[in-house]
Amino acid sequence: MRQRHRKGYVQKHNLEDKPLKGSSQANTINIALAGNPNVGKSVIFNQLTGLSQTIGNWPGKTVERKEGQLEFLGFHFNIVDLPGIYSLSTYSLEEIVSREYIVSEEVDVIINVIDATNLERNLFFTFQLLELEVPVILAINQCDILDKRNRSIDFKRMEEIFKLPVIPCVAIHGKGVHQLLEEAIELSVYHHPHQHYLKKGKRMHEHLSHAHRTQELYTKEWTMHLRPKKSFQFPDLSSLLKFGKEVEGKIEYLISEISQFESYFSQFNYPGRFLAIKLLEDDNVVNSFFKKNESTRYLLNIAEDFRKELEEFHGEDIHTIISSEIYNKIHKIIRLVLISEKKEERKKSLSDKLDQITTHPFWGYVILILILVGTYFFTFEIGNLLGGYLEEVYGMWSVEIYGMYGADPLWVKLLWDGVVGGVFGAIGGVLVYVIPFFLIMEILQDSGYLPRAAFLLDKFMHFLGVHGKTIIPMILGFGCNVPACAGCRIMETRREKKISVALTSLIPCSAVLTVVMGLVGRFLGPIYVGLLFLINFVVIIIFGKVLNKTMPGKCTELIMEMHEYRAPNTKVILKQTWNRSKEFIFKAMPIIIILGIVLELLLMFNLLEPINLFLSPITFILGLPLICGIFLIYGIIRKELTLVLLQDLAQSLGMTLPMLLTPLQMFVFSLVTMLYIPCFATIIIIARETNWKYAIKIALLEVGVAIVIGALVYWGGTFLLSLL
Amino acid sequence: MIESILKNIQGKDQRGSSLIKCLTECEKDEIISVIKVDTGKKAKQRLSNLGIVPGAKLVKCRSAPLKGPLEVKIKGSSLVLGRGIASKIFVKCSEEQCQYI
Ligand SMILES: Nc1nc2c(ncn2[C@@H]2O[C@H](COP(=O)(O)OP(=O)(O)OP(=O)(O)O)[C@@H](O)[C@H]2O)c(=O)[nH]1
Ligand SMILES: [Mg+2]
Repeated sequence: MRQRHRKGYVQKHNLEDKPLKGSSQANTINIALAGNPNVGKSVIFNQLTGLSQTIGNWPGKTVERKEGQLEFLGFHFNIVDLPGIYSLSTYSLEEIVSREYIVSEEVDVIINVIDATNLERNLFFTFQLLELEVPVILAINQCDILDKRNRSIDFKRMEEIFKLPVIPCVAIHGKGVHQLLEEAIELSVYHHPHQHYLKKGKRMHEHLSHAHRTQELYTKEWTMHLRPKKSFQFPDLSSLLKFGKEVEGKIEYLISEISQFESYFSQFNYPGRFLAIKLLEDDNVVNSFFKKNESTRYLLNIAEDFRKELEEFHGEDIHTIISSEIYNKIHKIIRLVLISEKKEERKKSLSDKLDQITTHPFWGYVILILILVGTYFFTFEIGNLLGGYLEEVYGMWSVEIYGMYGADPLWVKLLWDGVVGGVFGAIGGVLVYVIPFFLIMEILQDSGYLPRAAFLLDKFMHFLGVHGKTIIPMILGFGCNVPACAGCRIMETRREKKISVALTSLIPCSAVLTVVMGLVGRFLGPIYVGLLFLINFVVIIIFGKVLNKTMPGKCTELIMEMHEYRAPNTKVILKQTWNRSKEFIFKAMPIIIILGIVLELLLMFNLLEPINLFLSPITFILGLPLICGIFLIYGIIRKELTLVLLQDLAQSLGMTLPMLLTPLQMFVFSLVTMLYIPCFATIIIIARETNWKYAIKIALLEVGVAIVIGALVYWGGTFLLSLL
Repeated sequence: MIESILKNIQGKDQRGSSLIKCLTECEKDEIISVIKVDTGKKAKQRLSNLGIVPGAKLVKCRSAPLKGPLEVKIKGSSLVLGRGIASKIFVKCSEEQCQYI
């Protein structure tokens, strides 16, 4: 009965960009999903919009605001997925941007997604959100896990306390997510909260769904009542939000002072109480509001006196005082709403046991290495099996085609060698490695292993000038450097971001993996693959060390939430694996095919030689055959192109790879592909996350390093071989 | 001022291990409560947002080898703290447990 249309179009903006106002339709409701990291915001977003934001079990996946749309009950919804944050202070850029966004005109209703199993910490954010006095719906997510722990939440009681709609959800199974929208409609139509549990009589959406025949009429009527957020009557929560006597007294004083300048402060959209609290907290963004206006400046001094007084009285700094007060209130609420069915001690769960091994001071590292090595072996075995099979098929078909039409006509060259060969090359050389590899990466992400790796390697990462959290984007970098470098935003300081991005861009991604596996793995064996990775890691360590030494500033300390292990959700894993593979199929494949054809043409018209001649100094230093030059250029576009196209070329020359390259050359070729430059897309992301100067510096450094090391290996190897 | 009080208590405690210590010196699985967080301003802000404030109860779960970070359970979830920060968080044995000793 419910009508739901998904529209798959997405608008993505940088955080700095002015967000677009959603469609100007009259029946549009703009919703923002806000909350702590890893609570399930993106799961809800995906459920609602049908889009595919990355989800996984570790904090900090969503680093950029993302927008999606849907139609529901006759309304048009604009939904925005925000990065997870712990507070609305000024600790990170995300926090500032999020709070400005939340109070802005662009959002009508905020859905505060709360992890039911971690109520205490999540409610801290809720309290901050309430101070903004915006329409909020509390979505209590992951109720299935709470159930498993024999606990429950008294949702009715919670509504009584917060005076706002409270909706239990199991987002991963889509439970409760559409109820959120129904509540959002009511909030924006009634302008004051109608609680879900406390409501009496018929609710609006029931009217709607019962009268679905005349729904349009209803919708029209309701649409007329839609009002901007400003007209929302925020419930009276003063008794809930009140601080202790000393603090509250000062805040009340500040509020009354601020209210004199209402017309000035209204431009910032923040309510007076929020401004007062943040002024007391010495929040530099709010301070700047007061500094801007001559007549409000005196309040800065008053706030400072108040702050000093409080800090002296409590012997703590102001953030600690205020946070403690909030946590005390939360503690009382928790006792009222959280019900433990059985008092017995929770048994050691599977997650605890797994944790014990995977973070063990010895076995933890063994497992970490096993996972990394195991992933490669798994990918290698499967990829080789399928790849070999495909190659045989292609070979057989080629024989037949050549037999029928001869190998020389132009169309055979272009269509068969170029297009079909390209498709086979892409599938046999790339996809067969990439899909199993992505599958494992997704399992690692969704199980919650990544933070454990960060925990184990924190100490080690300090040598490279960053803390353990960097390990997370680095591991993701094995899949693809592009999102991984974007993910470096989870690092707290600029310096750490810069180092993390550089280190991540040196991680051999799945495209490099296909080159290494398809060349060295196939013809030289796994030991040499290991050797390649070893060299790569040594380079990463040296890079990190150098950056750490040369960049001003110091490494900060790790503070990270570590969520429990969770059985990975099969649907999520398969979907995300498919999404990432799809990218390869629809982005890489056309490029491979087109460049394959270009290559055939260049070859036919003898244009390859001048290009290769131009690059000959480099190929000479590296000891590679002249013909490899062009592929190193292709590799900048996408790394897997180096090998796929080389293979293409070999085929059309009627040769095999071992005829083209000596074993040592294969090794050097792979090594250079591994190191020589981040691919184009990665360079752009690095520039976006840092700046162009830095991105180019990193790229050039990597080219230099690759040439030096490649040459050393080649000439060293030649020398050693001559001794034998 | 607080520091001097801390020292006083430490000095007067004659029985067994000193009552106040930093997080890194704690035993595993000991229930402890936070006395004072003595990190830089920024870290203090974050820690207080995460619930590490004086009076908060927590349990130390494990630490990574070679002076790596530690994992503590607080407010029903796990936090990983770098060693440098942990050594600036002062705690004492929580009452509940001290009674047993
Ligand atoms: N069992 C269960 N797991 C859930 C539920 N909702 C989300 N999850 C899991 O929780 C994890 C985090 O979900 P995300 O949607 O990625 O979290 P997020 O809030 O977007 O996190 P950030 O983007 O990092 O801020 C994923 O592993 C989900 O599979 C739920 O209702 N039940
Ligand atoms: Mg997310």
